[in-house]
Amino acid sequence: MITFKLNGKTVQGEEGQYILQVAEKYGVDIPTLCNHKALEPAGMCRVCTVEVFDGRRTRFVTSCNYPIWEGMEVNTETELVREGRKLIVELLLARCPEVPAIQKLAKKYGITEIRFHKEADTCILCGLCTRVCEKMGARAISLTGRGVDMKVDTPYHLNTDACFGCGACASLCPTGHITLEKINREFTTRTLQLIPSEYDMGLRGRKPIYVPYAQAVPNIPAIDRDVCMHFKAGGCQICKEFCGVNAIDHSMQDEFIELEVGAIVLAPGFKPYDPSRLDFYGYHRLPNVVTSMQYERILSASGPFGGHLVRPSDHKEPKKIAWFQCVGSRDQNRCKNSYCSSVCCMYAIKEAVISKEHAGKDLDCAIFFMDMRTPGKEFEKFYNDARDRHGVRFIRSRVHTVDPAPDGHSLAIRYVMENGETVSEIFDMIVLSIGLETPPEMIELAGRLGVELTPGNFCRTDAFHPVNTSKEGVFVCGAFQGPKDIPQSVIDASAAAAAAQELLAGARGTMARTKEVVPEINIAGERPRIGVFVCKCGTNIAGVVDVPAVRDYAAGLPYVEYAADNLYTCSQDTQETMTQIIREKNLNRVVVAACTPKTHEPLFQETLINAGLNKYLFEMTNIRNQDSWVHKNNPRLATDKAKDLVRMAVAKVALMEPLKEIELPVNHTTMVIGGGISGMAAAKSFALQGFETHLVEKSDRLGGQALNLYHTATGEGVQEKLCEMIKSVESDKKIHLHLNTTITAVEGFVGNFKTTLSSNGNQEVLEHGAVILATGAAPYVPDEYAYGKDPRILTSLELDKKFIANDPMICNLKSAIFIQCVGSREPQRPYCSRVCCTHSIENALELKKRNPDMNIYILYRDIRTYGEKEYLYKQAREKGVIFIRYSVDNKPRLEIRKEGLAVTVTDHVLGRPIEILTDLVTLATAVVPYKDEALANFFKVSMNDDGFFIEKHAKLGPSEFSTDGVYLCGMAHYPKPIDESIAQAKAAVSRAVTLLSKASIFSSGTIAQVDPTKCAGCGVCVAICPFSAPSIIDKGRFAGKAEINPVLCKGCGLCEASCRSGAIHLKGFDTDQIFSQIFELNAAM
Amino acid sequence: MAENEPKILSFLCNWCSYGAADLAGVSRMEYPPNIRVIRIPCTGRMNPKFILAGLRQGADAVWVSG
Repeated sequence: MITFKLNGKTVQGEEGQYILQVAEKYGVDIPTLCNHKALEPAGMCRVCTVEVFDGRRTRFVTSCNYPIWEGMEVNTETELVREGRKLIVELLLARCPEVPAIQKLAKKYGITEIRFHKEADTCILCGLCTRVCEKMGARAISLTGRGVDMKVDTPYHLNTDACFGCGACASLCPTGHITLEKINREFTTRTLQLIPSEYDMGLRGRKPIYVPYAQAVPNIPAIDRDVCMHFKAGGCQICKEFCGVNAIDHSMQDEFIELEVGAIVLAPGFKPYDPSRLDFYGYHRLPNVVTSMQYERILSASGPFGGHLVRPSDHKEPKKIAWFQCVGSRDQNRCKNSYCSSVCCMYAIKEAVISKEHAGKDLDCAIFFMDMRTPGKEFEKFYNDARDRHGVRFIRSRVHTVDPAPDGHSLAIRYVMENGETVSEIFDMIVLSIGLETPPEMIELAGRLGVELTPGNFCRTDAFHPVNTSKEGVFVCGAFQGPKDIPQSVIDASAAAAAAQELLAGARGTMARTKEVVPEINIAGERPRIGVFVCKCGTNIAGVVDVPAVRDYAAGLPYVEYAADNLYTCSQDTQETMTQIIREKNLNRVVVAACTPKTHEPLFQETLINAGLNKYLFEMTNIRNQDSWVHKNNPRLATDKAKDLVRMAVAKVALMEPLKEIELPVNHTTMVIGGGISGMAAAKSFALQGFETHLVEKSDRLGGQALNLYHTATGEGVQEKLCEMIKSVESDKKIHLHLNTTITAVEGFVGNFKTTLSSNGNQEVLEHGAVILATGAAPYVPDEYAYGKDPRILTSLELDKKFIANDPMICNLKSAIFIQCVGSREPQRPYCSRVCCTHSIENALELKKRNPDMNIYILYRDIRTYGEKEYLYKQAREKGVIFIRYSVDNKPRLEIRKEGLAVTVTDHVLGRPIEILTDLVTLATAVVPYKDEALANFFKVSMNDDGFFIEKHAKLGPSEFSTDGVYLCGMAHYPKPIDESIAQAKAAVSRAVTLLSKASIFSSGTIAQVDPTKCAGCGVCVAICPFSAPSIIDKGRFAGKAEINPVLCKGCGLCEASCRSGAIHLKGFDTDQIFSQIFELNAAM
Repeated sequence: MAENEPKILSFLCNWCSYGAADLAGVSRMEYPPNIRVIRIPCTGRMNPKFILAGLRQGADAVWVSG
């Protein structure tokens, strides 16, 4: 340590430091133009000149490169220093009168006129650029020439390949003399360009060292070797110098790791289609034509425009936006993707609705589409709302050319309306709804793995094994199996896990390691001894909040025995230190002031457990996300806020008690309700994984609706496969069949259900740990199109039955008509039944196969052959099936005549009614849920307006209910084909096995508890709890009082807030604890 | 804090608003520092007495969000 005087105050610095560095540490401002932390100082600009007194005489030195020594006296603001500095700045201003940085400095020193000859330069010869270029290892530029001719230049004033175009010189230049354009023009022979940010879809640049996106796991920066200057030129390594924990090692090599595994799941996802291959859309050429993925980033708060909806070219708010559907999908002429990408219709509607929410309802959003495909759960409702409530325009037309509008920013398009009229319109922005593709590297990997692909380069699977690839032991999920949305991908993911578990059930738990349990210290009767750990989070917190001040403040709070600050409280070594300190100082309560408890509370609780403390003797307070990050321009008040938050947390933690987590055994028997394809698939998967399973079916046979199905969309015969499946279920010793059986009562909760079955008047009570509801759905029985009045009018399933029975009637037909959306997408049943378009087309093809000369018409509203089912649609058109679109307010009319069935429909091309005489009409009827209220009540699950069960989370929890231990699959969730039903059955099993693989479960400690001596037994808690946790005790000492089942309690506190007698305590958030926080506001308020 | 800035005590639900406040930080949004957050497990936990106590302690406003 070197001690010296700075402006009269005694200060300290390290040996080898320069005056400027020490001054900065003590908050003494010295101006400088040529200094940068990453570079050795050079004393070029002279603006940092200060006065040094060595005991005998005073000297003027440049503070940036003058080393400190013991006993020196430095003055930074004497009259002489100011005069000298003013002269230097005036000279710089004379040289560069137009440079804002110099003008600002001149203003600070009160320079109003320039007494010297003015020049028009912009370079002050500070040498930052040449020094950083040398540091990079490039050495492309240097200060050339002498005296007045000195300038920054490349050797011989020629563009050189020594310049990599890294842009370091431009980023450090204080005057703006060096720009990216200048580098391109004068320095480099290479093409200089921004490194496009993959996350922001190239809408902005990123650094060579970067975190791919804010939510990346692990959230650790990576170095992109292809663009990092160290790997290109050998220099730089500035990141290494600046990293406070020495984490950067440029010499690290790629490692090859060999793993022995029993199964592989392929989940490589998709690549968005690149529309620059379609030049007529002008993508890349016209900046305001963006892809839907780029548009997602534009809408995002973390995106390139901070969530403000503006167009890229001039950052103006658009007034009119158009979406073009099917870009890179359903197109075999201009790209090879003839499949439907399944997700684009829905995301375009979503983007349009969000845009209107962002920009107000005056924003004009128009979606240009071929068929609107919204066959997912609650999707049709969203589509209807977008059109009717939000005013999104839906235009059935394919736009083929985009031209720049005269203003140079907007885009002109021409399109043909359905009535043949040509319309010209100008939009401010165009979003291309791009499709999904399998990336080429995945096609190559599939080849190496020996996994077969479909014509669209997706992984080949069959309907009865939706997650099995052609290679045994290799499973697939997500968009590699076929283009699909999040819910379906999540279902697939769980299903693939279940399929792998079926294979590896015997090995479950064999590689698990047991954790050493540290005995818990009994702290009963001890006064609180609190430890406070304040985190700097690198500079994330310490850059704004004065962390040492918060630490010192915490040390003076009541009961605080220890307070410290840490660079990173969450790091492994700090965790170990914390454990040690807790033990050494006998701490019995801990407060961590750091980031958010939502991500880091479990980590610190683990540390408490390791130190022998109950994990609930802990409180975390958020001084990063809710303080330093949001108040970065207000460090003083942010520090005050941090102190308040710490004080409040200390007050609360002092009142924390050790809490118990109650252990409950899990019954490993399972129950599946519903013996259709989904139920059987679920039961079979349970059995294969070793769980005893009760399969309950209300009818007298297994098979459900599949008994009526002829073919799957991929042409497999259903009956044969179904037979095999039924046999395999019936012969499985672990599956206990209960036919002709209904449920009459359910008691218990997760891990411990008691279900009463009733069969032919006999009652039986079964105990099980989990249950899957696979109750399916039924076909709608139509009351229109003269159904039931003529044997030639059938439903889709009835036609299937005729195929199965090989009915001679269908061989003698001359023509057939299919009418779609019978009972679906109508006011009384607004959802789309998902399966009917594919089903009718498949049956049309079957009829064509049996009699190629037959005339077949499909009357439809939108053809929804999503994914690779689109091939069937294409094939049907090729085979001559005629598709006629009708609208819901002008439905086809049917008349029974002697000579045949006369169907009248308004042709969408001719715009006129046409009459078709036919021998057969097939009605594609809706799939209708059973709406089993009793069953829903038994398991405390709910149904949506349409009568389908409501899953835990539409996207992330599609195969489970909010009620723990109850799972969901098949058509009871939503109409779906066989492959999706089986996938969801396996997914439900997979979710259930996460519970069943445990011997016991633990309740949370932060739950409500009743003090029976205070309880009045009013029953409000019983009525109010959404989880049915409280109940009234029926016998014993406290009969008539309430008690709360700790397993069912989710700790929401609703009961405590509504308890009139104050008998309920919510552990961890008790009334006195929250009051203690409120009372500590005092100092703050 | 400027003299006329209201002092706000907020009760945020752990599952939504508290997470949203975290996200505001992640997104580097800025808002005035005159707010103190108490995390609660659910707005169902709110007791009217908490609001009264907050006002009595000198808060100008109490914000419950969930």
